[in-house]
Amino acid sequence: MALLTVENLKMYYPVRGGVFHRTKAVCKAVDGVSFKLDSGETLGLVGESGCGKSTVAKSVVRLLNPTAGRIIFEDNDITRSGARELRTFRREMQMVFQDPAESLNPRHTIGQILEEPFVIQKIGTRSERTEWAAELLRRVGLPADALGRYPFEFSGGQRQRIGIARALALKPRLIVCDEPVSALDVSVQAQVLNLLLELQQQDRLAYLFIAHDLSVVQHMSDRVAVMYLGKIVEIATAAELYRNPRHAYTKALLEAIPQVDLSRKRERKLLKGDVPSPINPPAGCAFGHRMRHPKWQESVTMDLSLREVSSGHWVQPCPCCTE
Amino acid sequence: MNAPLLEVRDLRVGFQTDHGLLVAVDEVDLTLERGKMLGLVGESGCGKSVTARAIMRLLEQPSGRVLKGEVKLEGRDLLPLPLDSMRKVRGKEIAMIFQEPMTALNPVHRVGRQIVENLLLHEDLSSAAALKRAVELMEWVGIPAPDQRINDYPHQLSGGMRQRVMIAMALSCNPKILIADEPTTALDVTVQAQILELIKRLQKETGMAVILITHDLAVVAETCDDLAVMYAGRLVERGPVESIFRSPLHPYTKGLLECLPKLDHPPKTMLPIIPGMVPGLRDLPVGCRFAARCPNTHGDEVLATRQPWKDCGGGHGVEACACFASTL
Repeated sequence: MALLTVENLKMYYPVRGGVFHRTKAVCKAVDGVSFKLDSGETLGLVGESGCGKSTVAKSVVRLLNPTAGRIIFEDNDITRSGARELRTFRREMQMVFQDPAESLNPRHTIGQILEEPFVIQKIGTRSERTEWAAELLRRVGLPADALGRYPFEFSGGQRQRIGIARALALKPRLIVCDEPVSALDVSVQAQVLNLLLELQQQDRLAYLFIAHDLSVVQHMSDRVAVMYLGKIVEIATAAELYRNPRHAYTKALLEAIPQVDLSRKRERKLLKGDVPSPINPPAGCAFGHRMRHPKWQESVTMDLSLREVSSGHWVQPCPCCTE
Repeated sequence: MNAPLLEVRDLRVGFQTDHGLLVAVDEVDLTLERGKMLGLVGESGCGKSVTARAIMRLLEQPSGRVLKGEVKLEGRDLLPLPLDSMRKVRGKEIAMIFQEPMTALNPVHRVGRQIVENLLLHEDLSSAAALKRAVELMEWVGIPAPDQRINDYPHQLSGGMRQRVMIAMALSCNPKILIADEPTTALDVTVQAQILELIKRLQKETGMAVILITHDLAVVAETCDDLAVMYAGRLVERGPVESIFRSPLHPYTKGLLECLPKLDHPPKTMLPIIPGMVPGLRDLPVGCRFAARCPNTHGDEVLATRQPWKDCGGGHGVEACACFASTL
């Protein structure tokens, strides 16, 4: 049984305006996303900015209240759980954020930051909590004397380690990582990625790993889901997605990534146009619409739910983007 | 004229702070040839942007100043020029674009007016002619419906379009050099590819030279002719892109290339890492600044004395730290 099941998740925001502050339009940030995630597995989520990947992340840990759909953690439907019920689930699911400078309280010591989860959950005595906090620091490769210091005393990479330590505090089984390395320097990025892999092996953690950098996602994930304008257009194992991308958008993303491999110096087919807005998205296949594909019109009346093309490889079956 | 287009010699830039003088760029040498694209690569705080700003003489005032060195544009040193002569160089001979086009553009002026401003300043044009030229420029950089977009405010444009406006502005007076400081860092990969392609196309069409500042080695591999790698204020390696990517010499360059996740690698394997972190500028050794993170074994003497620069042929040079100099 899957650890996490997300079914047809939707997150709509009303766009208000005018004198009477009426709803003028609907922003469909996430529009019918489904996936499963097992223990010890990493599902990568990629897409351009505004495609809804962070909204999915926040909905999964219920920092947002989804408009529709279901989020099932093991056997429990937590889509509509109240604060008290969520508090128990948050022991099981934690989040690591993009900007470690903004996600750590600058006025708290590292000790206070790491002990807070225990305080909220009312676990342990004061001395036990300090002991656990020191142990957490050790696990992420920081010295125990960091406990009495403040976030500003640490570099970006170290702060991200602290963010990861905090997420580990309650021994969760799922960690949602929202762009965990995109604010870090190249040489530090590899260290943090390795740390995440090590922790996963030790604890059989499941990761929902979100990044805009496809090579990072590719490196970290068992399976990768590609999102475009609020929908998953393709989902497959990392190796399969790289070797055999089926959706035109996945291909375009792969093409766009600069590579250090000089033999790959090539003329690229570039995507034209900008990332579209999720406010009043086009009907049918949004990417076909962006590419002005002649067959896009056919996709408007079609059922675009994902179809399995080979074992574990699911693609949105639109006539414009998949042959 | 045999002088290279732009030559930076022995440049040292410092900032006066509460903690004393911090040297952000220490004896950096760069050469930019006509029509070439030079990638300037390094992690945050390595001094790559400061170098660019020193070339433009746009260092933060009053704390920043050039302590020594020369910046020669076609043989003429820019650093001692009086300010009004320097203004004629900026925008006209060397133009610059920045990472975040939203903060570099003035939010309360229409984009057309901002492009026209540069034209009126440097070229002998009537405002009607300048406006016409602005529309042409916008079309040239691939902005659709430029005669309408010219009346837009920056916030009405997407990130990619704003960067195109910045490029149109920078290229309005046919500069000899374009300095692009992390032009695509704030953009999505697909838009990044468009902008890089655009810069390459414009470079071919105009024959200008480009300094591309970035932290992303892959971007350099795909776009540049030459590469200079900086670490903690110093240049550690320099040469043709082909040569450096095929046989990097400095352990830092090697480490940087190895620690990138690559698309064709097996997923979920440990990456080679560079241990430790980028050092602060306050207590840097006189000698090799990478020694603390270097995988090679080395004695304390590499910290105490400045390591010599070594040219290895074909324009490929490296700060030859004693820990690997014997292998060169």
